[in-house]
Amino acid sequence: MAFTEPVLTKRIPLDASQRKLIGYDDYVATGGYKSLKQALEMPPADIIKTVTDSGLRGRGGAGFSAGQKWSFIPKEKKGPHYLCVNADESEPGTFKDRYLIDHDPHLLLEGIAIACLATQCDIAYIFIRGEYHYSAKVLEHALKEAYAHGIFGGDGVLGSGKKVECYVHRGAGAYICGEETGLLEALEGKRGWPRNKPPFPAIAGAFARPTVINNVETLMCVPHILERGPAWFKTMGTPSSPGPKLFGMSGHVNNPGVYEDELGITLDYAINKLAGGMKGGAYKASVCGGISMGILGTNQLDIKLDFDDVRFRGGCLGLGTAGMIVMNEHTDMVKALRNCVRFYAHESCGQCTPCREGSNWMRKILDRILDGDGKAADLQMLMELEKTMGIMPGTTICGLADGTAWATRTFINKFYDEFALRCPEAPTKTIPLKVSSGRLNVLTPMGSNTR
Amino acid sequence: MPKITVDGQTIECKDKQMIIQACADAGIEVPHYCYHPGLSIVASCRICLAEVEGVPKLVPTCQTPVRDGMVVHLNSTKSIANQKQVMEYLLVNHPLDCPVCDQAGECNLQDYSYQFGRSESRFEEAKQKKPKKDVGLHVLLYNDRCIMCTRCVRFTREVAGTSELFVDGRGSKEEIEIFPGKPLNNKLSGNVVDLCPVGALLDKDFLFKQRVWFLKSAPSISPADAGGENIWVHHNEGVVYRLKPRYNEQLNKWWISDDTRYSHKVVNDPKRLYGAMRTQYGSQVESNYDDAIQQADTDLKRIHKENGDASLCAVLSPMMASEEAYLLGKYIRSIDPAALLVIGPVPMAAEDEVFRHYVSGQETFRIQAEKVPNKNGVTRVIDLLGGAKQTWDEFSQQHPTKLKAAWVVGGYLSHWTGLDAPAPLKKLYKVVQDILPSHLTHHADILLPSATWVEKDGSWENYQNMSQAFVAAFPPRDGAMREGNVYAKLLGRRTYDVAHVRQEMGEPFTSIKVPTISEADEPAMEFVEI
Repeated sequence: MAFTEPVLTKRIPLDASQRKLIGYDDYVATGGYKSLKQALEMPPADIIKTVTDSGLRGRGGAGFSAGQKWSFIPKEKKGPHYLCVNADESEPGTFKDRYLIDHDPHLLLEGIAIACLATQCDIAYIFIRGEYHYSAKVLEHALKEAYAHGIFGGDGVLGSGKKVECYVHRGAGAYICGEETGLLEALEGKRGWPRNKPPFPAIAGAFARPTVINNVETLMCVPHILERGPAWFKTMGTPSSPGPKLFGMSGHVNNPGVYEDELGITLDYAINKLAGGMKGGAYKASVCGGISMGILGTNQLDIKLDFDDVRFRGGCLGLGTAGMIVMNEHTDMVKALRNCVRFYAHESCGQCTPCREGSNWMRKILDRILDGDGKAADLQMLMELEKTMGIMPGTTICGLADGTAWATRTFINKFYDEFALRCPEAPTKTIPLKVSSGRLNVLTPMGSNTR
Repeated sequence: MPKITVDGQTIECKDKQMIIQACADAGIEVPHYCYHPGLSIVASCRICLAEVEGVPKLVPTCQTPVRDGMVVHLNSTKSIANQKQVMEYLLVNHPLDCPVCDQAGECNLQDYSYQFGRSESRFEEAKQKKPKKDVGLHVLLYNDRCIMCTRCVRFTREVAGTSELFVDGRGSKEEIEIFPGKPLNNKLSGNVVDLCPVGALLDKDFLFKQRVWFLKSAPSISPADAGGENIWVHHNEGVVYRLKPRYNEQLNKWWISDDTRYSHKVVNDPKRLYGAMRTQYGSQVESNYDDAIQQADTDLKRIHKENGDASLCAVLSPMMASEEAYLLGKYIRSIDPAALLVIGPVPMAAEDEVFRHYVSGQETFRIQAEKVPNKNGVTRVIDLLGGAKQTWDEFSQQHPTKLKAAWVVGGYLSHWTGLDAPAPLKKLYKVVQDILPSHLTHHADILLPSATWVEKDGSWENYQNMSQAFVAAFPPRDGAMREGNVYAKLLGRRTYDVAHVRQEMGEPFTSIKVPTISEADEPAMEFVEI
């Protein structure tokens, strides 16, 4: 455990007044594109092995091993491979990718070039969120510089003959396009509706070709891993979640912003040391990584912020993107949940029945509770609805319905009293899921639906 | 061949078949809305989910291929819980206006609600209101009833290839929409109504006309073109209310063209001819049908006697059943062994209309340019009978001058002769069998109103030389008679027995399969145990 100096933010000073956009020249002067040269001399399998050895886990939310993801791409190439960079950062409370792109775009481009070499991708698409106007401009400018200096296009990466093209694709502003297959659909020009898996993107992704999809921060870790080796990377973080991580601190803290530290710091440390302590009252709750992951309760300040502890001890879905929305003691948790669920109801893509109808139903129940018409049955209803949606019970195509479910579940479980107060006669804590198994004995003619 | 176990029952499946299809083939109903065997799989309605042993999550049966030894539970607690929940979700914003909904009675939302749903909804909030839309020439869209299965959207893309429909909006606010100024007016548009599992897409022609539980069905063939599309005739009390596609793997699959779909209008056309007529002293007078037939027989025999052989001809319409054409040919040759057999006019469109998949460009549906159902069959019958024959074009340009009388059969779906009677027939003695009035019927010496295809049995041979039988839905009204019955009478037979005539005609007519009404289409009433 030794996080001594900033890694991803090494070119971005903490003092906001001294920050500036790092251009190509500044980037190279501070050791940029060194790892790319190194990568060019390595066979692709070695690059993948190095990244796998480092234990780098995807920073987009799921925490899946990046090296393993790359190794799923077929080794034999029968056509183009694609790399999609997921910069559609729409998770509430998350703004780390924007911070990185706005200041150090070339680090991303170097990561892209290395990833393309490792997985033999020919074309990289940076799918950037539609609302990130400035970031898209920054990326476009950086891309121009990179093309001019032979990183992309031309005679291949730095004249090596391995040609990689890179494009910036701007989304049109939908949460669902941050889901990887939704992103692919949107990239292909279709409605951003997530795809059924299998086939997984590594086999048939963008344009039905093998595709790697990585988060911005994940790719930015790659040049550092190549430069300093997996062993160095593992000195930071915990054994199962090594490496540095950006923590997006927002909400009731004194100094909101993006802070870099290693994985496995405690929530207490993140709030009090990184973000300068609570503002306006004592700590009550914190979203642990975008609201889809759920919420950490009042007594969970000692939770270690890595991919596993948040899940196993924290009772959340995972660390997610580590975008913390910290709430002080004056926060109304029912209102906060209503706000979350309103977001999910608005952003549900409408493909699967449970998410489309369920999220909006939950929003209406919460609206009613806030209007003062809450009933005991409402809480039970919320808890039952929440259990029926998501990829974890298997009732939806993508994982974004789980977000609604986990937000609701953790809010109600951890702040049950507040909800019970608004719903008179709510029973004491345990709420079992009722399932009756009786079925009416009515025969529908066979095939009547397909005529 | 993989074998899977569904609720304790072992069934054999084809390789790579989806579970839902394997179950359907084995007669096990898995509830489904978005799945349709003719369209791509989206697995979005989520009601077909089932528990599979060894898989922790519920799996969509429409999207999971079978594996040997798979054990599927459609009735496990988890599966049932999901079915109940999805049913409840689907009804959250559904207006439940079944009493005024055309789909009621054949609605999958109703059926599955009974079978898989819960008896009451726990939804207490306000329902979302969505507008009704006029999306095309034949189709109305009631958006509030829609369950977003997107079958219609996929159909317009993958079968019609025209992509008029799309999903607008997001989440529970989304709606099926058309692009401004681009209505759903392709020639397959009616199929979206059949596809819709609920009452969201409705046929303007059928709207509020009849409750579906009064309808009876008869298997039939499309009269609109040479494609031989298989259809069901839905009728009640001598009125045809609508035509629906009947699945045929080789021909029309699950679809029919709009030409076919609305071809039933002729059956209940108020202008249809009823009551035989004969010309007396230069003007037509009403006549007893049997007398008119007798008169025609007597007159033709007299003309043949006066003018010798080759003075008679018969115009066999390509709308006739092959069996009827055979009998008419037999009859006319029994009077005049050298009688000329002419095949009636064959209306043609410029070219076939071809529909293609919107991406792959693969052909999905073809509407034949030949707008009559039985040109091939009648041609085959004329060849079978041998002797003098002509096509209509040859007949119009140059016909034997010796001709004195003609037996003309029409039966076209619209007025076929135009403003004037066809030139070659002008000076002849004419016996006319037709269903709609025309210049020809006005000048007929004997007019015998005939029956439409839904009122008679027979067979038609399509463009691929595939002969298909159709079955009478109901008898013709008084004042009209099936052509076959007329000929049977003239030939001195007791009845017009199609099977018998086919035996007489020999191959390939003897091997025509007659479709039967399947149980699936005519569900018997059953006592419901609750």
